[in-house]
Amino acid sequence: MAEVGHEGNSVSEPLDLVRLLLDEVVCVKLRGDRELKGRLHAYDSHCNLVLGEVEETIYVVEDEDEDDEIKTVSRKSEMLFVRGDSVVLISPQSRSY
Amino acid sequence: MSFFGFDTPRHNPAATGFSQVHNPFAGLSGQDNEGEALEFEDTYDGLGDQLEETNDAFNDDTFGDDSAAVKGPVGKDFDFFGQTAKVSNAIEEEHVRFQRQVPTARVAQSAARVAQQPFSQTVPAAASYNYPTQSVSKPARSGYEKYSQEPVEELQVDAALWGVAPKKHTAPAPAPAPTAVPAPTQTVFYAAAPSSAPAGRKILSLEEVEAQMRAQAKRPLHQAASSPAPPQPQVQLHQAHPQMHYEQSYQYAHPVQPQVNAQADDLRPKEHSYHLGQTQPQPVYPAQTQPVMILQRPQSKHAPSPQPPIQHSVHQRQQSATPAQPTQILQNPNRLSGDAAKLGIPSHPTPPTQINPPTHPVHRQQDSFHMHPSQMMVHPSLLGQFSEEDKVAYLDQEAKRAKRNHKIYQMSRDNGIMTPQDKNFITRIQLQQLVAATGNPNEHGTDEAFAEDFYYQVHNQIQGGHRQHPSQPLNNFAQTYLFQTGSRQGGLRRQHRGPENHMQRMEQQVQRAVEAAKNKPKNKQLVIEGSLGKISFSNAKTPKPLLNIKRNDSASEANRPGSAHRTHTLNGRDRKSELRSIELVYTTLMKMEDHDRIMPPRPANDIDTKAIHDFIAWNNEAQALNQQLWKALRVHDRPDSNNVHPFIALLSYSKGMKAMQRIFRRTSQEQRITILTLIVVNFDTLDVVRNAQATTGEMQLNAAMRENVELFSASVMSTLFNIMNELELNLVAGVLGLVCSRNVDVIAKSRIGVAMLTMILSRAEIIKQSSGGTADAWHSWDATYMQFFNLLEPTLPHVFPGTVNSGDDIYVWQFLAAIGIEASPDQQSRLVLAVKDRVMDTVTLAKTLPQDLATPRLQNVNLFMRSIGLDVELLQ
Repeated sequence: MAEVGHEGNSVSEPLDLVRLLLDEVVCVKLRGDRELKGRLHAYDSHCNLVLGEVEETIYVVEDEDEDDEIKTVSRKSEMLFVRGDSVVLISPQSRSY
Repeated sequence: MSFFGFDTPRHNPAATGFSQVHNPFAGLSGQDNEGEALEFEDTYDGLGDQLEETNDAFNDDTFGDDSAAVKGPVGKDFDFFGQTAKVSNAIEEEHVRFQRQVPTARVAQSAARVAQQPFSQTVPAAASYNYPTQSVSKPARSGYEKYSQEPVEELQVDAALWGVAPKKHTAPAPAPAPTAVPAPTQTVFYAAAPSSAPAGRKILSLEEVEAQMRAQAKRPLHQAASSPAPPQPQVQLHQAHPQMHYEQSYQYAHPVQPQVNAQADDLRPKEHSYHLGQTQPQPVYPAQTQPVMILQRPQSKHAPSPQPPIQHSVHQRQQSATPAQPTQILQNPNRLSGDAAKLGIPSHPTPPTQINPPTHPVHRQQDSFHMHPSQMMVHPSLLGQFSEEDKVAYLDQEAKRAKRNHKIYQMSRDNGIMTPQDKNFITRIQLQQLVAATGNPNEHGTDEAFAEDFYYQVHNQIQGGHRQHPSQPLNNFAQTYLFQTGSRQGGLRRQHRGPENHMQRMEQQVQRAVEAAKNKPKNKQLVIEGSLGKISFSNAKTPKPLLNIKRNDSASEANRPGSAHRTHTLNGRDRKSELRSIELVYTTLMKMEDHDRIMPPRPANDIDTKAIHDFIAWNNEAQALNQQLWKALRVHDRPDSNNVHPFIALLSYSKGMKAMQRIFRRTSQEQRITILTLIVVNFDTLDVVRNAQATTGEMQLNAAMRENVELFSASVMSTLFNIMNELELNLVAGVLGLVCSRNVDVIAKSRIGVAMLTMILSRAEIIKQSSGGTADAWHSWDATYMQFFNLLEPTLPHVFPGTVNSGDDIYVWQFLAAIGIEASPDQQSRLVLAVKDRVMDTVTLAKTLPQDLATPRLQNVNLFMRSIGLDVELLQ
């Protein structure tokens, strides 16, 4: 099944992997204890991202109690531009077939 | 006329303090009563008073203690040189001092200034020398008496003297000059100022003059020369005392000279004769002519040429007194503006200059008209010789020239602010920006433009329609830019080869730099010999590769199957490989679309070999790209066992579905049918079919799958529908046969599958309606349909999604209608039996529903019922 013709499309740099995720739902981990889950519309070399139908999740540590309860705050956005300097990781959404 | 009408009390204060701040209007306030008769208040600016004071120096010449003794031989014993030599040192000292005090005062800004500058500068010296005598000899006088006494003559003299009011000259009895003069233009006004000064001076007799000469011999010659005594000569002249006048004029040197020259025509000849016949020592004359030479070159011819040593000294003194600036100004009137602009303003505030008439407000006013003075300097001397018309014309010309000079001055104010280097620098920056903005102009119209701003280009293309000529600039913007850069590169350079030389060089430099920059990214790494590492370049488009993964075919060949194997074992699909295929498809599609944009024009005829060649080359390239796409689609790949076909796998992804329309646009009909066939053959393995099976329960498909189904029907099915609508009946039958070879049950239970089947059946029905298809084809179709119906029959009750309540089953009724039309009567009865329950349920449900909800449902059912010749109404 592997053909030589496909080798031209092989990974030559890390962002080539990100390219495979275009138009796919991705999970993006951001600095500041945030996570995004949405469809990747565009990216660039700085990892600036444009995501659609995004659900943003913020992990907040509640220090009221001593047990450091972690709460999540989430919200949805139709479209998001994510500046690359806050991106920690981009991963494909785990999909079940 | 009061020769001795010196106003001692008034004079003294000013005379003693030559450095005092002069109040030009002091005279007005002090002499109102005298001037009233002539209404001087209105026009007179008090210059006369001031000049009178400065001219008090002449009092010594005229009425000095020696005056009585010097009555004898006129001019024969003029020993200006000797006398001058004595005092020259003192004068020099004074000059130096004065210059230090008033360094900028040298800048004459008006002719009057220039003419009087010598006075003003020598005045301090003169004052120091003269003061005692002056105070002794001066009679009390208002300085204005003569105006009332002999106004006409005086005025006439004044006007003509400065050559500014020529008409007065020709008309011997004009209005009083002081009144008339200030009125017109500023030039005239300015002329009035000096003239008014003379007005306050007395007229000397020859004896007096001689006595004065004697006296002056003991004093600085220059002082005498510097004191303006213009009016007297004239008055005398008119009084038929030419001789005296000449003496005076020559004695009074430069100030007189221009005046004399400017005077009436009759004056000139006499003056000449005087010059010729004069037995007086030459040294005096140089003193007189020197300023003339400085001030009025043309006139120097009438001045005697003899230049004894004394003249030199005088001249030098003169120059020291009249610094280079005025001379320069006179010689280069055009430069005056600039010089005056630089130096003239500072000169005002300095106290010493305020002795000078030039610093009068009136004169200051003239500062804005720098040019006038200099021009006026010339013309008073010549004007006297002109005819009326000439004078008018000359004045007119002068005015024009002054205007022009002023304009030039205005415009040239910022001249020279930027050095050529500055200009070069700016130009270079602009060029760089230009190149950076456009890239290399040579690359316009190629992929470069698209690479730079793809969306703009494509948008423009869509907006502006297709270009008639692919090589023509894409849009106005590009056109303009190309034109500009073209003209910059070509036209300008060729036209202005000489002056644009540095520009050209710069452009070349920039181009070279740009080319170097363009070449740089191509070799992403620079390995310097002997160095341990590599230097990699990076930019926004090609970031510096952090992981230096070598593109080794064998390595990736070994790598990829491994990863594929891993993923394969994980979820049965090589997801990454599929995604990669999709990306490859997209990449290829974009290449093809780019390639389409550069399609050369179809060769108009066979002669244009280049066009033909281009077209063939383009076609070949297009063909190659098509093959590349076809390969990327992996249509002919054989799926691994238990694996979906790679192409079908592409359709599992939304981006894969979205690509279909673009793919079909750039594939041949044969390829499209192949794809259609492939899809149909693998229909039951499509995600949207396999994973979107209709269930009888209430369970709905998840949102993602519903989305995918929507997308698939919108992007893929619509595309397939277009192909299907062009198929012949035999091919339609073939497609249906293919469906039969697959799991019809699965297909029919999916919405997409049902849509697909409906599509096939409707196409056959359309062909039947249009009486298309051959008998063989119909025979084959009927057989295939029979087979299909048999396969489908058991599934029919289950094709409905959800329960009867869910309601979104219109596509199923459409499908059933399509089947019903094609079905034979036997098949129709079987069909009715199969879906009878659903029909009855829907009708029953419709009865319980409100009208607006029931009607559409019944109509849906009726789609099917009517296809078999029934109607819902029959069931109710």
